[in-house]
Amino acid sequence: MKVRTQEWLTIETPLGLDEVKILRAGNLVLLNGEVYLARDATHKRLIADFNSNHALPFNPEGAVIYYAGPSPTPPGEVIGSIGPTTSRRMDRYLEFFLQLGVRATIGKGSRENKVKELLKNYLGIYFIACGGAAAYLTRFVVQKEVLAYPELGAQALVRIWVKDFPLIVAYDAYGGDLFEQDEISNHKVVTG
Amino acid sequence: MKVVIWDDIVQAVKTALLELNTTVPPELRQHMLRLLTEEENEISKEMVSEILENYEVAQEKKLPLCQDTGMVMAEVRVGDQLLVEGGTIRSGLDEAIRLAYREGYFRKSIVSDPFWGKNTEDNTPGVYFFDLMAGDSLEISLLVKGGGCDNITALGMLNPGDGPEEVEKYVLNELEKKAARACPPLVVGVGIGGNGAYALYLASHALARPLGQVNADRRYRELEEKWKQDINALGIGPQGVGGKNTCLEVRIESYPCHIASLPVGLVSSCHVFRQKTLKW
Repeated sequence: MKVRTQEWLTIETPLGLDEVKILRAGNLVLLNGEVYLARDATHKRLIADFNSNHALPFNPEGAVIYYAGPSPTPPGEVIGSIGPTTSRRMDRYLEFFLQLGVRATIGKGSRENKVKELLKNYLGIYFIACGGAAAYLTRFVVQKEVLAYPELGAQALVRIWVKDFPLIVAYDAYGGDLFEQDEISNHKVVTG
Repeated sequence: MKVVIWDDIVQAVKTALLELNTTVPPELRQHMLRLLTEEENEISKEMVSEILENYEVAQEKKLPLCQDTGMVMAEVRVGDQLLVEGGTIRSGLDEAIRLAYREGYFRKSIVSDPFWGKNTEDNTPGVYFFDLMAGDSLEISLLVKGGGCDNITALGMLNPGDGPEEVEKYVLNELEKKAARACPPLVVGVGIGGNGAYALYLASHALARPLGQVNADRRYRELEEKWKQDINALGIGPQGVGGKNTCLEVRIESYPCHIASLPVGLVSSCHVFRQKTLKW
């Protein structure tokens, strides 16, 4: 097992404003607690159901949404491979969830510029996980439960519990953007 | 006339798909070990070390390297002196996918129609290209790649007067905008010539080469090397977090083209490069 040499911040869900304010683009973060898996079709369904007066199947306050559709769970495992999908496709749905209190999303890759504005306005975070390290990331998932839309298969709404799930802050609540930093080798790790 | 049994094709393709999705070839591991020494910033180093760790976990637990086990693509080159007994090659490929994706607990990502379809529940069909050759051989080149890197596929219809510099500019411009969301470091395929449709096929066909196999034409080999260096100089880095390696290899395939056109296809694979050619 890999030995971690860098400095990592440990945070827990649900995320409060204090945690959000500490985080800066480039921070290495170990996430703990409940996380909700949702990708394209899940987002569409959640919003359609909400608009027809159905409550969300989870409490959005401080929630973290992970853009991921895991592979099927083999016997004896907690979950199948669970890497991030490309976040940009979910940009159009982001504001809806931020309005309801969602504090952070996890995915991969850069996003539309408007996302940075939204995260500044609503005080939110965009994390990235390592794309294509999907088997490795199963090690940090301790439990899972299908919350809604099982008929969507890999796109069902799933609650997972994570322990020290490795992430990087890509966009912070101040407009900071990991992908646009010219030199990130000397970035400061904020402690506290 | 050589006879190949349909079920032998099914079993061979199935075995290859199970292997491609859970293990990496030594050449890919070598690339990543090199990146680990070349990358300087701690975040890109972390990305590369997680990718390397992923190889171990996937192999040990027989889990797919990436949760996106793709839409399977196969290029089939079949000799006119070869007979497949027991079924068609197309149905054999579908059957192999069906068996492998069930047995491997791989994700089923295919819907039966872009607008009105439902998940086919077995990851079929794949995408197949057939080519008829002289002789009695059969070759099936499998390529597995996910949606993320396929979504940066691009076609440029450049001007026939343009040279390698303009084509490179087009490729760099596309990748500068889009590479970060396609799980770099990428293997980049560029198809030049033919018509629009064929340039995209050529770009995809370029990915059917195993890692480390250079272009037979020296001029294109030199372009591949130069473009690789220039793409890496973009600084996008592993997973787009900044760094020295945005692509592992560039491959160019070319074809004669119309005097009025210069089609350029661009097809990339993410760093989980899953390619294998089977021969009979």
